[in-house]
Amino acid sequence: MNLTFSLAHLMGGIILVLGFSLLSQRRLAAMITIYQLQAFVLSAAAFWQGFAQHEVNLYLTGLITLGIKAVLLPIGLRQIVLRFNMIRAVETAMPVVMSMILGVGLIGVAVLVVLPSTLSAVSLTREDLAIALSVVLLGLLVMTTRRNALAQIIGFLSTENGLVLAAIGMPGMPFVAEFSVALLVLLAFLVVGVFLFRIREHFDTLDLSGLEEIERRGR
Amino acid sequence: MTPSFALYVGLPGQGMHLHLDALSLLFLGILLPQVVAGAMAGMRKSVTFWVFALGMGLALAAADAFTLIFGFELMSAASWLLVLRGDQKPATLYVGTAIFSAACLIPAVFLPAGPLAFLLIVLGAGAKAGLAPLHFWLPRAHPAPPAGVSALMSGGMVKVALYVIIRYAFVVLAPAAQPWWGGVLVAAGAASVLIGALRAMLEGELKTVLACSTVEHVGLITVGLGIALRGKAMDDATMAGLGLQAALLYAVAHGLYKPLLFIGAGEVKHGVGTTALDWLGGLVRGMPKLGLLMLAGAAGMSAMPLGPGFAPEFLLLHAAIAAAGSGGIIARIGFTALLAVLGVGAALALGAAVRLFGIGFLGRPRTLQAAAAEEARRGPLAGMALLGALCVPVALLPGLVLNLLTPVILELAPQAQTPPLAYAPLSLAVLAGLVAGAGWLALRRYGVRGTREVAAWNGGFGKAPPWLPFGDPAAQPSATGFAEPIGRAIGRGLLAPGGADPAEAFLLAPLQRLHTRGVRLAERIRRATIRQRLAFVFAALVVFLLALGLGEGS
Repeated sequence: MNLTFSLAHLMGGIILVLGFSLLSQRRLAAMITIYQLQAFVLSAAAFWQGFAQHEVNLYLTGLITLGIKAVLLPIGLRQIVLRFNMIRAVETAMPVVMSMILGVGLIGVAVLVVLPSTLSAVSLTREDLAIALSVVLLGLLVMTTRRNALAQIIGFLSTENGLVLAAIGMPGMPFVAEFSVALLVLLAFLVVGVFLFRIREHFDTLDLSGLEEIERRGR
Repeated sequence: MTPSFALYVGLPGQGMHLHLDALSLLFLGILLPQVVAGAMAGMRKSVTFWVFALGMGLALAAADAFTLIFGFELMSAASWLLVLRGDQKPATLYVGTAIFSAACLIPAVFLPAGPLAFLLIVLGAGAKAGLAPLHFWLPRAHPAPPAGVSALMSGGMVKVALYVIIRYAFVVLAPAAQPWWGGVLVAAGAASVLIGALRAMLEGELKTVLACSTVEHVGLITVGLGIALRGKAMDDATMAGLGLQAALLYAVAHGLYKPLLFIGAGEVKHGVGTTALDWLGGLVRGMPKLGLLMLAGAAGMSAMPLGPGFAPEFLLLHAAIAAAGSGGIIARIGFTALLAVLGVGAALALGAAVRLFGIGFLGRPRTLQAAAAEEARRGPLAGMALLGALCVPVALLPGLVLNLLTPVILELAPQAQTPPLAYAPLSLAVLAGLVAGAGWLALRRYGVRGTREVAAWNGGFGKAPPWLPFGDPAAQPSATGFAEPIGRAIGRGLLAPGGADPAEAFLLAPLQRLHTRGVRLAERIRRATIRQRLAFVFAALVVFLLALGLGEGS
């Protein structure tokens, strides 16, 4: 029993640290690699939970995570980076230190919210929930602080990782929900990929500041 | 004795209730002649006008808060439509004030009795009545609609607002009343008296002059109410009685002569084509009946002895003197200063009335239109004559009217003393008539017979050019020139730079700047980029989470 939770916490902690380092990375290639690592750890966590809770569904979740998020999506993202020749693209709308400080604050917020408001729940899943909420908030922070469309997508995908982490930690979460979330992510990725190509066709870049400038002037 | 009715419309399960007590009957009585005169002045066929009158009647006869508010807002909405017929900008200002007043009144009537409810009532109803510093809309909105409506707005609508103040301050909130409530009313009233009288003296447009004079008279009524409220809270029978006598008698008198003047101003507009005082002159020759009625109204407005406005002013000064002799040192100094303010107000009102009648109706016509003006139409003249005839008993027999007011006063302040009036205008008038008749007879008997030739006094006229053998009418003193000494002596100190109303300069203008700033901020939010909007949503989420966490943690 003890081993179950300590391993689950370890993997949650690794996911959180990876999400945090996502915030500090300024290069797209590195961000994709970190995301891939996060997805690997997530699938491992799902397998471990499936083993501990004796749930077949969780094995399926782990497989889907492994297949789609750890293998397919990073390949697609790397393809996009290659196609757009953005290997050396470095950008951030906010100084890294600043966004790191914000990230620490967000983790504090998550702990502050989850720990007191779930006092009645099973004690050891509460930390899991706090970690998951931190990962979600960090992903949202990446989405808002980055200007590059691809970096925003990676932030979105990391947010989704946090959701899955919350879902697998909760015994009794229906498998259909996870499955549909995974499918939704895949679809969103495809749609956004198409959008990226359209933006690229029009502006020759994925930096959205040009788009914002046009939007401002147009009104 | 006091009939009640239930109407089977209104709030579900509750309906609306009407109840006629002495106070309601008094104000309905004030309202009735104005409605008749307004209808005679050409508003008979306007549905909105009748809805307006109905709303006022409903507010006056209401027995529950819902009916009162319903009638009040019906009155506001209908009068807004009527102001809109005249001009758009004042109507917008007016509807803004009406919404502010509703926003204060509606919570106030449902609050428990206490200072907050009282202050909200004074703010809401005071804004509607034109109490300083919320009077800025009145000199703009009252002159805009047709004359019959202006008359009813100035004579009736402000009375309904004052009725709300009286009803709540003296009856509904009476158990919680404190002396400083009266002080609030006195301060607002004194400010209204000063600013209204000064602007009535300085404005160059006939209907605006009348509207400013309404601000002044509302201020006088409120001062009376404030003294009475203070007296009632301090259990001072003389102060309460005198203050209420003054306020209610003023309400009666003002409800007669101000509509008369407004209808007359409408007829001037109809006959001459303008109401700018500098374009009028010599109207008594072209419209003698109108001139006579306007003279009667101006006598009321100026509070001259033997006019309808004198007795209440007399009572009000008595009440102020009584108040100056009671209370602490600050109250004594304040009420003594109030006496000075009332004196300045009375002098300025007299100046405004003289200017109104002297520039507009006496002298020589300043324009061809004024020279060619014909007698007013029969309907408005009949309405004015009705109001003028009702002025006569108020002017000559104020003691009798005060006796009629006694039940109302006792209803509002049971402990009040109502001493008989120490002013008997009827006998004064008889004496003055005797003296004048004797003088006339002596002149007939001993005066010089035949005619004498003397050099013409050229005062007021420049040297006539050859083509104008009787002098140049434009060389008479103008309305602006007549007001200039007052404007220099008092106006500079009291008005904002440029002669604007202080409420406009120090209340309306900052509000407008605030509004502009708010609009700019909203526009910036609207123009935010996608990333900024995402950040807004994100920040809101974090704030909510923090609130949740802190709320749970504590």
